[in-house]
Amino acid sequence: MVAALAALALAAPAASAAPGGTKAGCPAAWLPGWQRLADKIDAPVYCPTWMPNPLDAQIGGQYEDIYSISKDRSYLVSFLEHGDLDSGDVHVNFRGYPGRTTIPKCQTIALEGAKTIHGVTNCFADPAGVKKAPGITATVYRVNQDADQWHILLAWRYNHSLYTVSEHVIPPYTYAQVVRNLGVLLKSLVLVRPQG
Amino acid sequence: MRLSRRRFLGGAAAAALGGAGVYELVDKLSPAPHRTVAEPAGMPAEQHVIDLGTVESEGVEVVVPPLHSAVVTATLDVSKPAGAQRELENALRELDARFALDPAGLVVTVAWGLPYFDRYVPAQAKLHLPYDRRARKPALLPTRTFPSDPQGTLLEENDVAVLFRSDRLDHIEFARNALFEKLSLFRATSIRRGFAGGGFHGGRSLPQKLAVAAGVPGADLIPEGSELFLGFTSTQKAGLGPRLIANHETLGYVDLRSGYFRNGTHMHLSHIAEDLEAWYLNFDFDERVLTAFRPGMTQVRQGTQTVAQGPGQVSSQRLLERQFKQTGRFGHSASIQAASRLLHDTVGEDGTVYPKGTAVPQRADFNTLDNPFAWTVDPKRDQWSDQPAAGVHFVVFNPSSDDFERNRLAMDGVLPDGTKLSVPPRTRAQGFNSILTTTHRQNFLVPPRRHRSFPLVEL
Repeated sequence: MVAALAALALAAPAASAAPGGTKAGCPAAWLPGWQRLADKIDAPVYCPTWMPNPLDAQIGGQYEDIYSISKDRSYLVSFLEHGDLDSGDVHVNFRGYPGRTTIPKCQTIALEGAKTIHGVTNCFADPAGVKKAPGITATVYRVNQDADQWHILLAWRYNHSLYTVSEHVIPPYTYAQVVRNLGVLLKSLVLVRPQG
Repeated sequence: MRLSRRRFLGGAAAAALGGAGVYELVDKLSPAPHRTVAEPAGMPAEQHVIDLGTVESEGVEVVVPPLHSAVVTATLDVSKPAGAQRELENALRELDARFALDPAGLVVTVAWGLPYFDRYVPAQAKLHLPYDRRARKPALLPTRTFPSDPQGTLLEENDVAVLFRSDRLDHIEFARNALFEKLSLFRATSIRRGFAGGGFHGGRSLPQKLAVAAGVPGADLIPEGSELFLGFTSTQKAGLGPRLIANHETLGYVDLRSGYFRNGTHMHLSHIAEDLEAWYLNFDFDERVLTAFRPGMTQVRQGTQTVAQGPGQVSSQRLLERQFKQTGRFGHSASIQAASRLLHDTVGEDGTVYPKGTAVPQRADFNTLDNPFAWTVDPKRDQWSDQPAAGVHFVVFNPSSDDFERNRLAMDGVLPDGTKLSVPPRTRAQGFNSILTTTHRQNFLVPPRRHRSFPLVEL
């Protein structure tokens, strides 16, 4: 019966193919957005060549949810499909922190009666192993904050900077499927360097 | 702090293992542990006492719980209680004769609810039911809710609950059949099933295996070998009440009056749903430790499952209050210990000395994939689903309802002396509460073995 369950789990939604989907370079339709991002922050960014079904990674496209660049040049690019009729969400976040490799701190807020208690915690916590792709050794974090709450997150360092990709654990994808998705995503990443 | 969104995994995988089917995996996934406990010499006067072996887990002595537990609740279908008493007692004695009174055999505990005493033996109950002299209330109280219970918690009114415990599922099924199918004394209202342990000798524990097999959300996040879904060992010997401490008479809390219920105890039964994904995806290991135990426990090695909770590690109310003031939060164990552990050395009625810090409650809880029960006579009322869900059937023996209530209120930050650690119910500052949802509750009285069948009807 366990084997049957495993087979069923593998029959979950298939990954979408990226347009022009090869690892050779950022897909043509997605490249302009990622290139603009790299230019804007004046640092390399990682463009995926694969995304979990049904998402694509076109900045400014139908699945873009958040596109945010902070004063310190760190960025958050988020893609979301919110399913109808309780069918679930697919939500992937990409982050970069140019010029820093430490795990950022996040603010926590707890309500204690009428009082609001502010605290600080690591934005990514509970490391649970590593995942590798060519040129990347990423740590898997299971407890994450802010836009990455309820997500499994991979974080790695490159060129004195910290990068992350995370996916929400929520149907239609189970925890195990999200971990698998992130493994595929990691291997699909290609660097887009700033121009000029 | 999003702790509210969750959806059950749908689909054929979960459905295939719905209802009772998943429990049939238990015997295949985890063979019965080798028990070295000697059979008790004769039957103990108590129904609730069970002698269990221990193992060492991460340097701490841990009691090995029975692999399987089940509870059947029922109302009565009897017109002549005296005849029914004989019939039930005969059936129980046949079970006694057939199975050894240990987890390798079968342990049956028959508990009676207030509706039984009120409807069938009101006059006798008035004279003989024990009285909690510490609380100045009857030892068996109407079931109540607690501050962190959701609005929909059902307070049940069963006449009787029978708890079955064994390493063998077929033993439990035999006994359930003997009492609830062959006899026509009861109208069953629910069947509740579950499991615990199984991972003490390495590898995956039973809760982890079954949760993964059932496709319960968060199952993959349960640590390897974890005794229960939430990742910590809860049956360490020093943290459980000694053999007779939960008897009505042992600590002197309860006036036995006629003595009819000497060797009896109180049982609380509840079902609690557990949000495993919220627990493992929103609380990192350090926060899980301070949530499960107490703030300030920063020296616990990452991945530890058995955190010593003996008398020496007990949190005092003073420490609890101080840490709450410093951190704005309190731990599950620390808050309960303020009510559940002896405040000073205490001599029991039989001369046994119980040291300060000794636990009073005797827990018999077990994890479940029932949602909320394996079967119910009223699926609508109980909001029954055939989709497996992680939870716990919480079974605990205390000397009285009030003693249980003191413990449970402490879990919500209401301490026995009236001190309130004021945080809103169900926030993550309040121990486990933010990831637990209590669906059902009921108090019962567990008579001594000699009066386990329809107590008081012979008087």
